[in-house]
Amino acid sequence: MSVPVLHALRCMGFAEPPRIAGACGAPEAEVESQLIDLAVAGLVTRTPGGFGGWGLTGAGKREDARRVHAEVEAAGARAALTAGYQRFLVLNPELLDLCSAWHLRPGAAGDAGYDARVIGRFADLDRRAAAVCRDLSAALPRFATYRVRLGDALARAQGGEVEHLTDSMTSYHSVWFQWHEDLLCTLGIPR
Amino acid sequence: MHAGDSAVTPVRPLSPDLREPPAVIGAKAHGLAVMMRLALPVPPGFVLGTDACRESLRDGRLPAGFGDALRGLESATGRVLGDAERPLLVSVRSGAAVSMPGMMTTVLDVDRTSVLVDAVRTVFGSWHSPRATTYREIHGIPHDGGTAVIVQAMVSGHRDRHSAAGVAFSRDPRSGAPQPFGEVVFGRSGDAVVSGRAGTLPLAALAERIPGAAEALAAALDRLERHYRDACQVEFTVESGRLWLLQVRPGGYTGRAAVRVAVDLAEEQLIDRDTALDRITPAAVRAARVPRLTGTAVLTRGQGASPGVASGRIAVTADRAAVMAADGPVILVRPHTSPLDMHGLAAAAGVLTVLGGPACHAAVVARSMGRPAVVGAGAVTVDEAAGRIRVGERVLPEGTVITVDGTGGEVVLGHAEATTAEDPHLTRLLEWDRVRRAPPRS
Repeated sequence: MSVPVLHALRCMGFAEPPRIAGACGAPEAEVESQLIDLAVAGLVTRTPGGFGGWGLTGAGKREDARRVHAEVEAAGARAALTAGYQRFLVLNPELLDLCSAWHLRPGAAGDAGYDARVIGRFADLDRRAAAVCRDLSAALPRFATYRVRLGDALARAQGGEVEHLTDSMTSYHSVWFQWHEDLLCTLGIPR
Repeated sequence: MHAGDSAVTPVRPLSPDLREPPAVIGAKAHGLAVMMRLALPVPPGFVLGTDACRESLRDGRLPAGFGDALRGLESATGRVLGDAERPLLVSVRSGAAVSMPGMMTTVLDVDRTSVLVDAVRTVFGSWHSPRATTYREIHGIPHDGGTAVIVQAMVSGHRDRHSAAGVAFSRDPRSGAPQPFGEVVFGRSGDAVVSGRAGTLPLAALAERIPGAAEALAAALDRLERHYRDACQVEFTVESGRLWLLQVRPGGYTGRAAVRVAVDLAEEQLIDRDTALDRITPAAVRAARVPRLTGTAVLTRGQGASPGVASGRIAVTADRAAVMAADGPVILVRPHTSPLDMHGLAAAAGVLTVLGGPACHAAVVARSMGRPAVVGAGAVTVDEAAGRIRVGERVLPEGTVITVDGTGGEVVLGHAEATTAEDPHLTRLLEWDRVRRAPPRS
């Protein structure tokens, strides 16, 4: 179920190999080697500096769009993916409400009851999101990575690393945001 | 449609005599009845109580008196649902014991009885929508309450040139200053204002175009404030010059504005100092200490999505923001944000987006990074290819300095002054608190 490096990076923005490897579900060394090949082909580039990282070039975005279109057509998956995307759209405002509820929690220094309620609602949403992700994965197996990554983020938050709800680069919101981008990109829908 | 058993509160017409508590008829209907008792204009209608919701969700039945209430509304308006020439049109709105803004369904322009019955069931059913459930979990509202439903004759904010719709506050919700504040649209329905979709005008536009309605609105806000002993917010529609009030909500001010309202009301002797202190939460005190813009020359406005004030040079792409940030602070201006903008958000001192509301992805990311953000600034267009933005008639090339206030949603040209000193109203409130806590002298 590993995800092509070019497409994973397309949905992430700028990132470094460890995080890309996490999104691809592939070993970091293999991802790095593929990044170099893609760079030689002019599809990705590495921007130095504090806010840099690996990212797609314009040609890389066009090539990814072409590959994804062909992938969806070859799998005959458009109808199933569109249906899954509609169900995703029902859940998306609720996820955003939850993220805001977490950020705007009344006792910033910790109201354990409130925090537990919000995390409980993330878990409830996650169960419904899992069903959507399962159907998307049945149509296009690479979507299964989101189930794994969302589950990891939630488990870490439930274990006390609460920054994995909304505030880390691998947080539940960050992964969800990439899932949203992936659906738009895969179905060729502009944001 | 079946008639319910007599254990359920029957359907009641909206009237000054409707005195059941919000737990029975919902906060919205309760507020409408209050306004009727204050002789303020409320469109005729009727309310199905929260217990009718519970019963409907159990077995699909509607309560006794539904048909009678509908006939009463038809005779009060002189119109009939489904009439071929001038049909009665009604709105069907939710109204729980505790307000849950935007979480449940509203159905407008209902014109037939069968559609009305379906709409009532749909609104009842929206009590259990996942968003509404989440909202109740987060805010500690019990799940077994149910929502009331209010059926009212539609009033049209887009009937003619003397029609309008909007929201109005008895005091400025940004600062708490004791002047009415609001937004109005002409030729469009009120939900365009409530949903934050573009193109609203300040309340002053109502005074220019329909002065009689503006005066009536100002008088209504004053009367409501005296009744509730708190600042109030109303939704209103002006139909052919005539003012109608659709909703009232007392309080709901946050941060600096909440502090100022509480202090001013105590000074005006509408409330005592203990009440003022009890209204202010620790979170409001914290929020009151976040810097705000002090100037008034606003370039444009959106919605505050991540608090704080930031100044910097405009960058119109995330890539440009990352590059320009090496030479000093940058404000990233985007139509909306995607994961591809994350590195630009990280590099920027603040964020301005054209689309989105306070709970959009951009807002979540900006708050997680501690960057002030204004979203939904609908008057802005971003021209990525030309490297510039446009705000109304003004063209601002990349590199132009702007300031954003992520609390109030203001956008100002240049480096703008922000408050850093303690707010004088907060100082006064904290002094009252110190006096209250001090042990009594022997």
